Amino acid sequence: MINEIPLVLFLWAGACLFAIGFSMLILKRNAIFVLMGIELMLNAANLNLIAFSRQDTANQGLLLGVFVLVVGVCEMAVALALVIQAYRQFQHIDLGRFKSRN
Amino acid sequence: MTPLMLSFLALVGITCGSALVMLWTKNILHAALAMFMTMLGLAGLYVLAYADVMAVSHLMIYVGGVLILILFGIMLTNQNSRGDKDQNNLVTEESSRVWPVLIGLAIFVGLVFILARGNFSGVEIADPNSKLSFVGISLLTEYAIPFELVGIYLLIALIGSTYIAKHHD
Repeated sequence: MINEIPLVLFLWAGACLFAIGFSMLILKRNAIFVLMGIELMLNAANLNLIAFSRQDTANQGLLLGVFVLVVGVCEMAVALALVIQAYRQFQHIDLGRFKSRN
Repeated sequence: MTPLMLSFLALVGITCGSALVMLWTKNILHAALAMFMTMLGLAGLYVLAYADVMAVSHLMIYVGGVLILILFGIMLTNQNSRGDKDQNNLVTEESSRVWPVLIGLAIFVGLVFILARGNFSGVEIADPNSKLSFVGISLLTEYAIPFELVGIYLLIALIGSTYIAKHHD
């Protein structure tokens, strides 16, 4: 096909999403915002897998992407449970104000 | 400029623009709305990469599941710092903006530089048709054991998260 989108454009979009997710991870202090940044980074990796799978006759990236989706959902469920438990413990979820007891 | 390319650029604009809105805003509800737009744009990008199965399952899982989970998390940890109960004014704290944005920009420029040096030409597109039956057949034959394992993993994660989230007195 002649009118295809080049692969490197997908990879650039993934790089943009990854960079935004990483800067959210270190910019925000609310724990839920940080989880959203982690989700963005996970989705950037998934976009790369699927873009490479377009070139693959065996479509292995697509099938790995399905499993990445499930792992991302599990991570989100457990992390939100931890955030809710931390909110019960400390009455806030501000990551800059958590102190470890010694 | 083909229509395919134009739609790709529009979808990348929606995706990365909404992600930038997520980065910029301090209101966590606006960030959840922007995350919805990001997931819609990503599903469109998956369609353009000929992965229609992935696009549909991504929409179902992220818009229908993860985003609702995040909204529940926002609701349950609402601190209402401003004190006005009428507005959805859930403004959160953040650190200084200079260094994180600079580090993110450096990562983006570095990745683009590395990817621009790679040679991805000469590989042809495998199959532009729907991959639904292919994914179904492979998940039940070649990838049957990982499929079952990921089901068990999902069950363990759900039981564990309900145990973590309950009241421990």
